[in-house]
Amino acid sequence: MKKLLVVAALSVAVANAGLVDEAAKLDVKKVCDVKANGADKVIAVAEKFNPEAVKLQVEFKRLGITNRNYIKFTKEAIKAKKKEVVIKYKKKKKEKTKKFPLEYAAWRACTFAVRSLQQVKEAEKDWHLAVPGDGFKY
Amino acid sequence: MKKKVIASLLIGSVALLSAGDFNAQAEKDRKALQEYLEKKFADRKNANAFFPYSTKEELDKNYKWGIKGDDFRLGSYAYNIGGKKQYEEMNEMPPYEDAVDAGKELYEKEKGIKECFPDPAIAGDYPKFVKGKGVVTLSKAVVACAKKNNLKGWKLTKGKTAKLEAYFASVSKEKGKKVNIVIDSKEAAEAYERGKKEYYTQRGYLKLSCATCHVQGAGQRVRNEYLSPLKGATTHFPVYRLKWQGLGTLERRIKGCNKNQGETPHKPGSAWTSELLYFMAYMSNGMPVDGPDIRK
Repeated sequence: MKKLLVVAALSVAVANAGLVDEAAKLDVKKVCDVKANGADKVIAVAEKFNPEAVKLQVEFKRLGITNRNYIKFTKEAIKAKKKEVVIKYKKKKKEKTKKFPLEYAAWRACTFAVRSLQQVKEAEKDWHLAVPGDGFKY
Repeated sequence: MKKKVIASLLIGSVALLSAGDFNAQAEKDRKALQEYLEKKFADRKNANAFFPYSTKEELDKNYKWGIKGDDFRLGSYAYNIGGKKQYEEMNEMPPYEDAVDAGKELYEKEKGIKECFPDPAIAGDYPKFVKGKGVVTLSKAVVACAKKNNLKGWKLTKGKTAKLEAYFASVSKEKGKKVNIVIDSKEAAEAYERGKKEYYTQRGYLKLSCATCHVQGAGQRVRNEYLSPLKGATTHFPVYRLKWQGLGTLERRIKGCNKNQGETPHKPGSAWTSELLYFMAYMSNGMPVDGPDIRK
């Protein structure tokens, strides 16, 4: 049983590393280009990578809106064939609403999901560069 | 008998040596940070290299130079002349004084608090690494104590916890206590290293690390505010922030920093936040406890 658990944990770890590596190889401008790929394909990219960002605690948030909310409400707009995404979220326990054009929301959700994981990869070597006494020279 | 004494002395020295070894890297980091900050704020002559975007007039008039060691406990007010003036004016009638009194009352009247913390002069001793629990911040210790005694309404970020911490900080300051963060095991050293890595890692859609603002950016002006240094960042908490219009703990401040970085904030009390604070507090080791205090 223990062995099984270890194998399962290792498989999950390998799969996770896979998503970070996969994201690191992507050209964000290309995969998140709504005009070239369509909003549904772009939001599918966001949906693929963002859960990993959440798991690694590196999910992006802007204007009080988490990327999972950008994805959720953009998907709803695509399904309802609307050109505007209405995002509902909470800020300081108050209900808030913001509206974005569909193209913009899909692009943002996708770039946020991919870039958050790319930054994880970049940080593996970059973080030392800012440490006085280590990589930071002045 | 002699042999026994020598043997126990030897064992004791080995234990001491290895305990000292666990914080060797942290000590190197702390000294390197201090050296960098002291060089940065040493004198006007070097200023152009460290503050390339500042005007001559700004460097001549707005900065105090020759900042050393414990001076950094004042944060940006150590070198920002205008800010220091405002800080001194605000401190003529400190808005946190009521909180210290309220904290004292909580300490004396709330069930079980005194038993958890017999000595209130402990503000400089946290965060601690506790085997089996990981890094325990002062807020976590306070909330755990409240929970153990079935007390309600104790949060990690503000309210009663911040008030009690204000009392702890005030007593610690009065007694001349210094920050004394201990790294005495392999696990503690690993927790410190994880905290350090997160501090220097660029995060969020703005791709900012904590260090962007508080190491490389320390002293830079952002709009009308001057960024504070990492050294001394934890010594004066809890703080009354004008932005909050109230008192808050280190956990509250870190949550705000995460938001500013453009990232979904880490939960107060999470291993991530606690280990980050463990690293940050170690960088102030040996500095006097200086809280509670006021910040914008």
